[in-house]
Amino acid sequence: MKTIFKYLAFGIFSMFIFVSCSKQPAEEINAAKTAVDTVITEGAEKYAPEDAKKINDELSAAMSEIKAQDGKFLKNYSKAKEMLVKVKADADALRSGLAAKKEEAKNNAVAAQDAAKAAVEEAKGLLSKAPKGKGSKADIEAFKADIKGLEESLAEVQSSIDTEDYAVAADKANAIKEKAAAVSEQVKQAMEKVGAKKK
Amino acid sequence: MVQNINKILFIFALVSVLGCNAPQAPPEVRLAEEQEYNLWRSGAEIYVPIEYNQYRISLRKANEDFIREKSRFAWFRNYKRVESDFRDILQSGYQIQTKINEQKIIKSENISNQISFLKSRIETLKGLTYKINEGRHARKDLIKAELLLSEASLRHESKDYRAAEEKLKDISAFISAAEGAILPIFDRYSDSVQIRKWQRWYEDTVAESRDKRIMVIIVNKSERILTLYKNGRPFRAYNVGIGRNGSADKLHAGDDATPEGRYRIIKKLPRSRYHKALLINYPNEEDRKNFILAKRKGLIPARTGIGGLIEIHGGGKDSMTYGCISMDNNKVDEIFNIVNIGTPVTIIGAVGYNNSLSSAIEGLQ
Repeated sequence: MKTIFKYLAFGIFSMFIFVSCSKQPAEEINAAKTAVDTVITEGAEKYAPEDAKKINDELSAAMSEIKAQDGKFLKNYSKAKEMLVKVKADADALRSGLAAKKEEAKNNAVAAQDAAKAAVEEAKGLLSKAPKGKGSKADIEAFKADIKGLEESLAEVQSSIDTEDYAVAADKANAIKEKAAAVSEQVKQAMEKVGAKKK
Repeated sequence: MVQNINKILFIFALVSVLGCNAPQAPPEVRLAEEQEYNLWRSGAEIYVPIEYNQYRISLRKANEDFIREKSRFAWFRNYKRVESDFRDILQSGYQIQTKINEQKIIKSENISNQISFLKSRIETLKGLTYKINEGRHARKDLIKAELLLSEASLRHESKDYRAAEEKLKDISAFISAAEGAILPIFDRYSDSVQIRKWQRWYEDTVAESRDKRIMVIIVNKSERILTLYKNGRPFRAYNVGIGRNGSADKLHAGDDATPEGRYRIIKKLPRSRYHKALLINYPNEEDRKNFILAKRKGLIPARTGIGGLIEIHGGGKDSMTYGCISMDNNKVDEIFNIVNIGTPVTIIGAVGYNNSLSSAIEGLQ
């Protein structure tokens, strides 16, 4: 009788263990999904695409684990739970690092924008000193149009910064800087040509 | 009781021993995981989205099967099917990778060709802008096209082909705008009707000089040359400047175009804002007719006048004028003493089909 009682107690205990682990970890699922969604919305795919892919895959693996357990008679979601907790932790870690990455990208874009602005201003300054009238009017008009085009493009750099497209903004700003330097060089050459003629 | 415990221990030991011999997870699982990551890095989503999506679905299913199999009791685990599924997935992954590589090569070449073509197109158009004063109208768009081209080249170098393609798409609009601003001007100089008209004016003016044994002036706008004809023969030639929009025919006040037609000197101004000046009788009868017609068609704002005070004056041959013909001061001194009031002045775009502006756009369109 005593032995039977022992086996019965062991059976009830086992049942308790199985039942306690048989529920889907809804709370962990929601927490992990929300963490992933948040970090993706905040631009993880743009600023840290590899990390974003990693947490997406981790979430997907955790969901596969849940699905596998769903199909079993004796369900055990403890591993899925662990996986989900890790997904959330990774997503949160990525989120905290993301702000720094964004800030860095923004700083790069703003620095490039400043350099481009300075280069355009330099070209403008040079052009204002170029001798007007004989021999250079058409060139000056052409350079003025070039600089106008560059100035308008500078506005596009700002738009890209405003929409947080920092890489696009930096690329455009660098291209403007390069082109403005080329215009300055052409203006200098034209000025030297006029100077040489005067001699 | 002790016997029972021994039995349990024996069974436990047996299970443990047999459990250790449970089949290991097939290596294909890990390989497929790495492969999927590599495909993603290669841009599978961009280059082969349908195949990649299919691949991912198959992989997800295989992973689920693997997890299910793995979670079975060791004795009942059998990875044979899972292994076979993963092998199939790896195989399709290799095929996808090959496709991506092929597509990348094609895309890269395509983009490279486009960049070369557009670069050459922009250079050609920029070259054209130096040939006419109106060139400035196209410069703003051309420099924007150049900026985009630089960005596209950078993207191409960093193998970001999708971004490069997007940049290239945007370039066309700026090139079209630049072409729209200057090509119609060049087109006039290869238009047969226009050229025949200019040729007729030229021949009639030279004939007048020959027949009446007088001095005449012919201004060729495409070559920017003013030629003095004496008794039907070229006597002297000078480089000149024309209006800010001088390649076009003057239609109304403020258009900065240099008129085309047959005129005469009506006044000699020994003291002018631009050194010395020879005033011509613009607008003539034909100019008036054209003006009225254009106004009727609504091509000219209602309050705009026809304009006037078109001169041949000093100030420098490279100046951009409001429509006048400008020369170096010492040259205007020369012709000022040679010509008289009443001297015919014919202003034409070009003498023939082979002029500097028509040849500049040869092969462009």
